[in-house]
Amino acid sequence: MAGTASEVTDLLSRVALRDRAAFRELYARTSAKLFGVCLRILNDRAEAEEALQEIFVKIWQRADRYVASTYSPISWLVAVARNHCLDLLRGRKPTTEDIDLAEGIADGAPDPEQAAMATGERARIDGCLDALEAGRADAVRGAYLEGLSYEQLAERHNVPLNTMRTWLRRSLLKLRNCLSA
Amino acid sequence: MSTDDNIGGMDEGSALVAEFALGVLPAAEHAAAAQRIAADPRLQRELLIWQSRLASLDEQFVEQAPPATVWSRVEARLFPAAPGAGRAGLWDSLAFWRTLAVGGLAVAVAAVGFNLMQPRQLSPQEFGQQLVAAIQSNEGSGVEFVALYDTATGRVRLTSLSGEVAADRDLELWYIRGEEPAVSMGVIPVNQRTEIDLNADAKSKFAEGTVLAITLEQKGGSPTGKAQGPIVAVGKAIAI
Repeated sequence: MAGTASEVTDLLSRVALRDRAAFRELYARTSAKLFGVCLRILNDRAEAEEALQEIFVKIWQRADRYVASTYSPISWLVAVARNHCLDLLRGRKPTTEDIDLAEGIADGAPDPEQAAMATGERARIDGCLDALEAGRADAVRGAYLEGLSYEQLAERHNVPLNTMRTWLRRSLLKLRNCLSA
Repeated sequence: MSTDDNIGGMDEGSALVAEFALGVLPAAEHAAAAQRIAADPRLQRELLIWQSRLASLDEQFVEQAPPATVWSRVEARLFPAAPGAGRAGLWDSLAFWRTLAVGGLAVAVAAVGFNLMQPRQLSPQEFGQQLVAAIQSNEGSGVEFVALYDTATGRVRLTSLSGEVAADRDLELWYIRGEEPAVSMGVIPVNQRTEIDLNADAKSKFAEGTVLAITLEQKGGSPTGKAQGPIVAVGKAIAI
């Protein structure tokens, strides 16, 4: 596995200082996880390999941005990988601002109380997903883990697009209320 | 958020933020959502919390080892001065030499590769013998250089790998042939590469086994022609 969060944080900060040995180590520790993300979302081995290459180029170029993030280092790396794959799938051309938002380095960082609350919520997400109506949790997981769009979700669940959107938005709000209950 | 009991506008914003975090929206709507979030600190905080919530699903991505070619391609993309680059690029690459300085053998092996990469074809007459020396830190000084000598040109190319010198001191390079006294090759700069043309006497003596040493001297080098300061780095020339 990828090692402890503090070790990966340390590697990332060394990568931000252009330490190639640290970059190699970071790759050794995290490439399998990120390749798993690419394979799951892109569902094509050659594309996943190409994407993984691009993702590590981004990580080298953007490691200095992680410092400001409230993500765990692995989550940040997964977010970089996941967003790259979604950009490919959706034909998105994100601006730097979009990327900062997507990678959790927006200006308005949560205060410590909010951050602690978010951490407490993590343990409960599966329980809260299970509390959703049948099929709705699958839609949330499909969107996050497989990178499905509203269109694909609607097709998979065999409902009109607008219905799918209403479902998912309601599910997300229920999820939020369950997590912060 | 627990204090967020208002329905309507607040919920609408929260749902949009969640959609953005999930990435389910078509490209144009996604970009519009980004603009809206970027302009609203409350939505930004909400986004961070949604990202954190969803990240707990990250565990469900199953690790799979990528093929080794991916790493080679990453390296080739980011560090084109690594293997395969042209001669000047390589010689100027401090990182390249630093990785080599681990040991004399590694230096020799890599320098052979370095020479093979040179595009120019040399006839046997032109092809002088090449010597390389890893001049490594002595007594923990941290001063390290790599020297490459080509008998065809009579020139020593020297690259500083590491080490610092106080402003009132200089490093001086010497060669030592067997039991003979050290002969100065002059003061050498730190943190850059230098080329030194050997005089006829030095050329005749410079051969495999010649020891290169660097001493710490007063500004401008030893005034007596004999080393006065401590040896900070030393290495032996190896034929390649």
